[in-house]
Amino acid sequence: MSKLNSKSIVSLHKKLVKKEITALDLVKEAIENCKHDPCNSLEATCYDEALKKASKITEVKEDEILKGIPYLAKDNYSTKGLETTASSNILNGYVPLYDATVISRLNQKGMILIGKTTMDELAMGGTGTTSHKGVTCNPYDKTRIAGGSSCGSATSLALGFVPLTLGSDTGDSVRKPASYNSLVGFKPTWGRVSRYGLFPFAPSLDCPAYFTRNVLDSAYILSAISGHDSKDMSSSTRKKDNYEKYVKENRTLNKVGYFKAVKDNIKNPIIKAKYEELLSKLEEKGYEIIEYDYPLELLNALYPTYMIISCAEATSNNANLDGIRFGPKPDGDLKTYSDYMIEARTKGFSDLIKRRFVIGSFSLLSENMSEMFSRAQKARRLIVDNLNLFFDSIDYLLVPASYDKPKKISELSTSWSTKPDYLDNIMTLGNFGGNPSLTLPLGYLDNLPFGVNITGRIFEDGYVFALASEIEKITGLKDIVVKEAK
Amino acid sequence: MIKIDLDVINSCAKNLKFNLSDGQDKLILEEFDTVLAQINFLKSIKGVDQQLEMTFPYKEHQVKLRDDVPVKPFKTQDILKNSNSKIGNQIKLPKVVGNENE
Amino acid sequence: MELEPVIGIEIHVELKTKSKMFSSAPTSFGQSPNSMTVPFDLAFPGTMPVVNKEAVRFGIKVCKALNMKINKTLYFDRKNYFYPDLPKGYQITQQFDPIGKDGYVLLETENGERKITIEQAHLEEDTAKQLHLNDISLIDFNRCGTPLIEIVSNPDMRSGEEAMKYVEAIREIVTFLEVSDGKMENGSLRCDINISLREKGSNKFGVKTECKNLNTISNIKAAVDYEIKRQTEIILSGGKVEQETRRYDETNKKTVLMRKKTNAIDYKYFREPNIIPIDLSDDFINDAIYSMNKLPYEYKKEFKKEGLSNYEIEVLLKDLYTVNYFSDCVLLGVKNLSTLWNLLLVEILGYLNKNELALKDINLSKESLVYLANALSDNKINSKQGKIVLEKMLKENKDSKEIIKELNLEQVSDKSFIEDLVNQVLENNKQVVADYQKGKDHGLGYLVGQVMKLSQGKANPKLAKDIIISKIGECPKK
Repeated sequence: MSKLNSKSIVSLHKKLVKKEITALDLVKEAIENCKHDPCNSLEATCYDEALKKASKITEVKEDEILKGIPYLAKDNYSTKGLETTASSNILNGYVPLYDATVISRLNQKGMILIGKTTMDELAMGGTGTTSHKGVTCNPYDKTRIAGGSSCGSATSLALGFVPLTLGSDTGDSVRKPASYNSLVGFKPTWGRVSRYGLFPFAPSLDCPAYFTRNVLDSAYILSAISGHDSKDMSSSTRKKDNYEKYVKENRTLNKVGYFKAVKDNIKNPIIKAKYEELLSKLEEKGYEIIEYDYPLELLNALYPTYMIISCAEATSNNANLDGIRFGPKPDGDLKTYSDYMIEARTKGFSDLIKRRFVIGSFSLLSENMSEMFSRAQKARRLIVDNLNLFFDSIDYLLVPASYDKPKKISELSTSWSTKPDYLDNIMTLGNFGGNPSLTLPLGYLDNLPFGVNITGRIFEDGYVFALASEIEKITGLKDIVVKEAK
Repeated sequence: MIKIDLDVINSCAKNLKFNLSDGQDKLILEEFDTVLAQINFLKSIKGVDQQLEMTFPYKEHQVKLRDDVPVKPFKTQDILKNSNSKIGNQIKLPKVVGNENE
Repeated sequence: MELEPVIGIEIHVELKTKSKMFSSAPTSFGQSPNSMTVPFDLAFPGTMPVVNKEAVRFGIKVCKALNMKINKTLYFDRKNYFYPDLPKGYQITQQFDPIGKDGYVLLETENGERKITIEQAHLEEDTAKQLHLNDISLIDFNRCGTPLIEIVSNPDMRSGEEAMKYVEAIREIVTFLEVSDGKMENGSLRCDINISLREKGSNKFGVKTECKNLNTISNIKAAVDYEIKRQTEIILSGGKVEQETRRYDETNKKTVLMRKKTNAIDYKYFREPNIIPIDLSDDFINDAIYSMNKLPYEYKKEFKKEGLSNYEIEVLLKDLYTVNYFSDCVLLGVKNLSTLWNLLLVEILGYLNKNELALKDINLSKESLVYLANALSDNKINSKQGKIVLEKMLKENKDSKEIIKELNLEQVSDKSFIEDLVNQVLENNKQVVADYQKGKDHGLGYLVGQVMKLSQGKANPKLAKDIIISKIGECPKK
């Protein structure tokens, strides 16, 4: 019998309403699933609390769509009473005093947190291999990366542990792993969902984001977590929406665009063919498909702009990690506060993180500011202005979400990319502009998944879901789980 | 721009309150060649330096200020619960002498 | 070589909002350590700053009072450095676009009016408090996040007196606006003073020292004067002033070295990405401005017009509560301000000081005080009687009108009653009247005295005198 947690939120909800299953059944099974974790997806868990909460749920009403449904959260969401480390040694043993807004909103809707998932240390990575707990591997091929930084959330969802996992997306940290794990990964408009309680990596790019296994579930989740939060000044006061309606009522916009430079440079023939096939099927369905010449030099600017802005912001955001008020106490004969901090931070951060911090901090020095950080911020403006020009006349940007198989873990390099390929960084556009952006499954390369990504105008999250749902119907790829990790 | 070398790298690390492991400074120096090349590439983009720096993805006008209403503070024991360096109801550190930051 | 001191001052003023600058924790003073915090104050991961509206309103008031240009969009930036009292590893401040720019204050000095220009004022958050023991330091985060406004002057001051007057002026303004306690001794107003010397007439700056730990207004003058003397001696003896931070040692009345300033630290300032620029509406700004209390200079102008002396005004303006009390009394219809001043600032404050009380601690009715002041200035009672009445008011908390009645002090101004008395006195003192009419003018005083005696001191002496003169005429000039 296939696992309950492999099903969609919507179908589980129906079963709960009809009392075919109980929340306790779901949670018990989710816990069992988590106990067999072949890909190293999990951090701390809260099974007892989850069981307690589930056993209190005796009835689920029609309109309580999320009630009784278990979920997992990336280990950079603050969870009251549950250790949260951002997969970094510097936060080992840290037990937050408060819940992130996203967590408390899901809990209010009756969702049940089962535990936390691994991630690239402090969310600063795209491979899923730099957690303090080691490598989180791809369930479709354990010798390959799951993608990151939201690696554990992607793999645990692909393995059917639960029907929802929370991630976060600063560059493409949800949308890339979604592509590698055959999932729906959604990054809302920046400001649509409160970041309060999400450990910051680069706040001007960071966005709470999440994985589901189909588009309608994804839309329901946004309806549950969006809306202004007085604890996050950057959370928008614009009225929230019923995003699931966009899916149910098929409320799509008409103009689907693609970048010529992207389409022309897809090297993998299968991905290229699937992508082109999708474009023509959309055209058949009546969508206007528009080719657009986005400046090539700005595509090439994506990687350095992203790296400099995110590393610089990260040095500052992580300056609170000093072992004084939380985190492991440093050892040794520490004569000064400086010794104390140095010992805690030297032990707490991996080499990769330190290298990124040094470069990020170097780019903020007053003498370097205008050449480095400021220039990256100026480049960001050009990138976003040109993206907005695209959106002046076109409703959606459609790109492949990955361009090859996920890399072999043995072949990885963590160094600053010498020849970045803009295709690998194309989804950072959504972070620079704050746009809603969604990845969903498109096809397979030798049984390894790849996805397609839709980006829309800011605050048009609903329209993005609507088009995603159309594509889901075209591909027929939804509610996919890995039977057994290979 | 400051010319980067091993000393600059190590002093950056020191200012960030950590030590680099053996060989990491050389690795950063190597990486920095790439970074510099990329910076120069950004510089070469037409019109880039005439732009205004962009911090926020879009302009949002409706920002709410917080009303000046205090909440109940957290209990001392809770707020210090995560600290491994405390004494009584205070955080404890090796004696702080001077402020090198001022 | 004639040397000229160049002095600039940075003042940190703690704003007395109810909650902190970026968190909802209550602001406090003297509470048990680490009992007034929320997770943001200790920089727990994921917490975010939310700007306090009242702190912004206070900031606007200060800027307006200092004649500054107010920035209609609020921006915040990060100042990055590591220190145990700075839990986030950065302070949120306004480096690039402060709330106020280009202001000034006017000072009355020995050399007349001086205009001190102010570069900027910015909002920021206070750090945690450290307590240094023998071998450890303790950190208390209660103060961490308290709103501050930092007011940065241009190097316009030229003497210890000016520096002192400048700080006093700022202190007066922030306390009158009721945006701060302005207590230097509690650290709710702290100043760093930059002092350098240069050859008179030069427009270059010399090497400056920064002076800290000034916890009274008078220490400012003493410290600056000392530092000017110290630097003068160094320069005149051919030495070089070194860039350093010094602290004022109150016991020895000297500035002493705290540390040398080596390479300036790079704070890696950049815009705070968690606070979207905030457009302040005209309504919001105007509302803050319209709700401002009267400023010290406005009081000065007003009291001067009403006849108080410069000295009286200066003494009065030392305390906002007293000023407000005084001005409320004026509004209740005090006829002579100096009489009121004398009662309030000499008699009452003298009594309060002796008993270690403050004006706000005692429930002294303003109506009652005004009645007393007017009774005095109308000569209804004399000053000796006034003292008796006041004492009873303070000690027994009674109304002045009742006390005067009770003690039968009130002078009788009933014309026919006094006229009767006058007639009796004139009848009994015919010789005195005759002498008076021949030019012995002291007879008039004697006759008035007799009327007073007959009335047991209650007759209004002025009225008695007028009636007597109306009956026996003016004393002819010799």
